[in-house]
Amino acid sequence: MREVAIIGVGSTIFDKLPQRGVTDLGREAAWAAIKDANISPKEIQFAYCSNLYHPFVIGQGIINKVGISSVEVVNVENACAGGATAFRGVWLGIASGMYDVGIAIGVESMTTSPIAGKLIPPAKDDLDGELGLTMPAYVALAMVRHMAQYGTTVEQFARISEKNHRHGSLNPYSQYQKVLTLEEILSSRMICYPLTLLQVCPNTDGAAAVVLCAADKVKKYTSKPIYVATSVLKMGDYNYRRKDFTFSDLTFMTSQEAYENAGIGPEDIDLIELHDPFSGSELMHYEELGLCHPGEGGCLIDGGVTALGGKIPVNPSGGLLSKGHPLSATGVAQIAEVTWQLRGEAGKRQVPDARIGLTHVIGGTATGIEAGSCAVHMLKR
Amino acid sequence: MSEIVAFREGLFKEDAQGGALLGSKCKSCGKVYFPPTPLCYDCLEENMETVPLSRKGTLYTYTVSQMPSFHFLPPYAVGWIELPEGIRVFAPLKEEEKLKVGMDMELVIEKLWEEDGKKVIGYKFKPCKSQPNHP
Repeated sequence: MREVAIIGVGSTIFDKLPQRGVTDLGREAAWAAIKDANISPKEIQFAYCSNLYHPFVIGQGIINKVGISSVEVVNVENACAGGATAFRGVWLGIASGMYDVGIAIGVESMTTSPIAGKLIPPAKDDLDGELGLTMPAYVALAMVRHMAQYGTTVEQFARISEKNHRHGSLNPYSQYQKVLTLEEILSSRMICYPLTLLQVCPNTDGAAAVVLCAADKVKKYTSKPIYVATSVLKMGDYNYRRKDFTFSDLTFMTSQEAYENAGIGPEDIDLIELHDPFSGSELMHYEELGLCHPGEGGCLIDGGVTALGGKIPVNPSGGLLSKGHPLSATGVAQIAEVTWQLRGEAGKRQVPDARIGLTHVIGGTATGIEAGSCAVHMLKR
Repeated sequence: MSEIVAFREGLFKEDAQGGALLGSKCKSCGKVYFPPTPLCYDCLEENMETVPLSRKGTLYTYTVSQMPSFHFLPPYAVGWIELPEGIRVFAPLKEEEKLKVGMDMELVIEKLWEEDGKKVIGYKFKPCKSQPNHP
């Protein structure tokens, strides 16, 4: 497997943009990545595009608008891990030696999707969904257990949201750019105990794109290539095998494999963009990713360890809580953020001297398994 | 009187003792599953039998939703119940008293919702009247 580098990234702002369609959002991100890569569209040899709610051949619909046609295109879906899956597809296509240059796009228009403002009926065979297991309930159940098992407090969970909104206020791409107080967060409308409205990511539209290139060919395009140190994608294991519902075995196994592949451990990482659709998600992911022992996530947030200025900033972009979560775009947007950080181009939210970054997404529920999909990537300069 | 239908076939039975969930048990290795599975995911044998599960368990975790789901209006409670068979079951809960992690819970078969004028029944768990470990 050859080494692969990122030569260009692009993103739309994340916001409610119902007047814009997925093709237009995807086109904007793709064009921004192509310009950033200093590359002609003609040189792009293949593309992966991720989207969940809008069929079909969406990748082709997007890339023809930026001057690319006739190439191999693969459209993928992996729920919240879709964008990272698309990125991995392009990485693998180049690492394997099949191609030299490709583009990965992730796009989601939540506000024009079938679920916009509506409750989707659970799938016919989704037993738990029919019995009331919504996405917030899934995480809330883990949070309540975490509190009972470890003494974690509702304030500690809410502090995650406070931190991420503070980071988001520094990020022009973020849907929310407002500092919120702990009091505002805790007193916002209850969604599913203990998750209040401001501890749940908003409905958001957006797109992001990344151009990758074989490492031995980057000089032509950029003096700041960012290398892919590892890419790991896994499916969740059976629920019946899970001993502890406060601990995502899937995140643990995926990240352990990533650390082993890259020869890099959590202590070497300078920043992390992880999956925080709910405040509790981030706190528990600290433990699974090995930033602290199980049960100690509360200590990390209390100690400012994961805030900008702390030892290992998590979600300097503002994360899903502040930026919003256009499902298939998020995984690609995380790659864009880490790329900007490693290049020193992250403006007011810059992590000083960042050299190694990790991205993590996890998503998709199906009765009987922990979760559908988890992807972990590590980038280095 | 409206027609009564089970929300799923083969997941539970009703009887004079208050009914029971129906799991599947692997005759080769003894592993028990709920909901029932067509094969054993541990030993991969297709040698399953239907078994009624314990009616009582402990509340592993719960939450109360203030948002509607497709079938339930808020507020509604759901949780995971640990059964002595070593499995956890996801179910709607009757919050007849304040829920606490670790509470003893028992099964109840009753109406879940209405659909096309029919009464759809299924399973829930509710706190046991006596809580020996939680005075």
